[in-house]
Amino acid sequence: MDKSKKRESVVSRTQAIIAVIPLGDSDSGLLQVVADSLQGVLRLPVDLKSAIPLPEESYMASRGQYNAMAIIKRLAEIYADGYLKVIGVTTYDLANPILTYVFGEAYMNGVSAVMSSFRLWAGTGNQTVSREHFLERAVKVAIHEIGHTFNIPHCHTDRCVMRSSHNLIELDHKLNYMCGYCELFLAEALTKALKEHPTDLKRQETA
Amino acid sequence: MAHKHRFMVVDDELIVRESLAAWLEKEAAVVDRAESGEQALDLMQQNLYDILFVDIKMPGMGGFGLLERVRQAYPTTVVVIITAYGTVEYAVEAMKLGANDFLVKPFDPEGLSLLVAKLLEHKRLLEEKQYLQSQVSRCWGGPDEIIGQSKGMLELFEQIVEIAASDTSVLILGETGTGKELIARAIHANSNRLGGPFVPINCGAIPESLMEAEIFGFEKGSFTGAIRPKKGLIEVAEGGTLFLDEVGEVSVKMQVDLLRVLQDKTFFRVGGVAPIKADFRLISATHRDLNDEVAKGNFRQDFYYRINVITLRVPPLRERREDIPLLVRHFIKNFAQETNRNVDSITDEAMQILVEYDWPGNIRELENVVERAVVTARKTIIGPDAFSYLKADVICAPRESAALTLEAAEIAHIRRVLDQEDWNISRAAKILQVDRTTLHKKIRRYGLERASQELSTTPERA
Repeated sequence: MDKSKKRESVVSRTQAIIAVIPLGDSDSGLLQVVADSLQGVLRLPVDLKSAIPLPEESYMASRGQYNAMAIIKRLAEIYADGYLKVIGVTTYDLANPILTYVFGEAYMNGVSAVMSSFRLWAGTGNQTVSREHFLERAVKVAIHEIGHTFNIPHCHTDRCVMRSSHNLIELDHKLNYMCGYCELFLAEALTKALKEHPTDLKRQETA
Repeated sequence: MAHKHRFMVVDDELIVRESLAAWLEKEAAVVDRAESGEQALDLMQQNLYDILFVDIKMPGMGGFGLLERVRQAYPTTVVVIITAYGTVEYAVEAMKLGANDFLVKPFDPEGLSLLVAKLLEHKRLLEEKQYLQSQVSRCWGGPDEIIGQSKGMLELFEQIVEIAASDTSVLILGETGTGKELIARAIHANSNRLGGPFVPINCGAIPESLMEAEIFGFEKGSFTGAIRPKKGLIEVAEGGTLFLDEVGEVSVKMQVDLLRVLQDKTFFRVGGVAPIKADFRLISATHRDLNDEVAKGNFRQDFYYRINVITLRVPPLRERREDIPLLVRHFIKNFAQETNRNVDSITDEAMQILVEYDWPGNIRELENVVERAVVTARKTIIGPDAFSYLKADVICAPRESAALTLEAAEIAHIRRVLDQEDWNISRAAKILQVDRTTLHKKIRRYGLERASQELSTTPERA
C-alpha cells in the first residue's frame, strides 16, 4: 500500500482544517504535543486554538465529572463551519451518562472529539508515570478519538492505536499509530471528506 | 468483531440511547434505537438483533413486557436489562424472567466491553447448539433412519413423539434385530435431553464381574487395579439418556443396585462414600418375556415395574412385510454407496422372495442379506438368484405358528420340494423318496399346480 502517495494530494493544503481546542485550564506542553502528533498522523495542517471554558451544561454535579457527550455536541456547534474536525483537550475528568469515566469521546463520523488527561498520569500504586509516558498516552487517546471522527471503528489488530482500551494497561500496550488497515480507511475517509468539504471552510475565531 | 453485529438500544431517555449507541457503534456494529418496547418490536420484525439493551422503566409495555415478548418470539436474541441505582431488584426480577444480564447505570467501560464480548460468544454457542441439535435430530430421529410405513411402525412413531418429552422410564420390547436401539435413540433425539449424551450399554456383553464398575464407576484403590478413579456410565449419561440393552441379562444383584438409583436418584461409586446425584432418563430393551422371567424368579418384580412405566413394542419384520420393499431399497442404496458397486435396483421376483421370507433375524438379517446381494451382484439389478439360498432356508426353517394338519403339512412339503426342483418330478420324487407315480398321484389329489405366485399361496405362510 503506497499511503504516502495517496496522501500527497491532500498535504498541499496550507489552510488548517483540523483544530485542537484547549478546554479550561490548559497544559501547553500537552496541547503542543497533541497538535504536532495529529499533524504527523493526518498529514494535514493543524491549528492549536486559544482555550475556551468547558461548557457549563456539561458539568455533572452529582458525579463531579464533565459529560463528554455534551462537550462534543457543543464543540460541533461552535466549530462545524470553520474546521473539518476539532478535538477538545481538557485536564478534567470526563464521563458520559452511561459510563463511569472515559479517556476520550467522539461520534463515529462526527465533527468533534474530546479527550481528558485526568487519568493519564496514574502509575502503579499511588505513583505517577513520567511526563514522557503521560504524553505518549495522551497522543494515543487523541489519535484514537480523531480516528473515530473519520469513521474508523475499533480495530482488532493487537497493538493498533484504534484498538479499544478501557484501562491504562491496555492503553500502554497500544502503539501510537494506526495499523495498515486503519491507515487505509483513514486515507479513504480523508480524501472523501476533503472532496465533500470545499476549501472555503469559513474560519471562525471563536477563542 | 468478525462480522457486523446488530444491536438495539431501547430506552425512553434520549441521552442514554445516544451514549450507549455511540459506544456500540465504535465496535463496528449496526445500532438501532427505539424509545419504547412497541417500537422495538416493530424493528425486530424487520431486522435480526444479536443483543437488545433494554431499560426497565419505560412508558407503554415497559422493559418487562418487551422481555417477555422477545423470549417467546426470538429465543436466541440476547437481552441485557439497563437499570439505575435503587432499582436493582427489578433487574433481578428480569433475570428470573429470562434476561441474559443486567447493567446498572453508569457502567464501568471495561465491564461493558467484557459483557458484550461474553454475550456475543454466548449467542454464538446457543446458535451453534441449535444447529447441531437439528442435525442430530435429523440423523437419529428422522424418517431417513427409521424406515416404515406399516400401521405398526406409524403407531410406534406417534408413541415416540408422545413419550419423548417426559422423563419416564421406557421399556422397548422386540425380537432381536428389530432396531430397538434405533427406537431408543429416536426417543432421546426427540426429547429435551438431546443436549445430553446417549449412553448405550449392552448388558449381555459386559461380564457380571465388571458390570458394577462399568455402570457405577469406582474410586481409586477400591479394588486391585483401580489406580485412578473412574466415572461410571451413569455419570457419563448425566443430563442425557441411559440405554440398557438386553436388560433381561442383568443379574439380580445389579437389579437391586439399579433399582436404588432409580428410586433415590443418587448412587455411590464402587468404594466411594460420597453420594453422587444421578440425572438420566432410563430406556431399557429386551427380547425376552420379562413377565415370564419374573414368574420364574430370574427378574425382580419391583425392578420390572420401575423400568416398565411405558412399554413400546417394536414389531418383528414378518408383521410389517409392507415395509420390506422400502427397507430393501434403502439398504441397496446405502451398500451400493459404501461398497462402490453399481447396483441400483431389484427385480420384482427377487423382491417377492424377500417379502415372503420370514426373517427370524429381522432387519439385521435383511440388512445382511441385501449387503451380500449387493456385494456379489454382477448386474445393476439384483435378480432372484441372489436369494435362492433363502428358499432353502424356508424348507428347513421350523414354522412357528403353523398349526397344520398332517395333510396340509404334506401338501406344503411336496410343493416346496417341487418348487425347489423347478417341478422336475423325477428329482423331486428322489428327494421325497417316493415313486414318480406316487408323486403324480399326490399332485393330482391335492390339485397342485405350477404357478408364478406359488410362494405366496403356500399354507404355512398365509
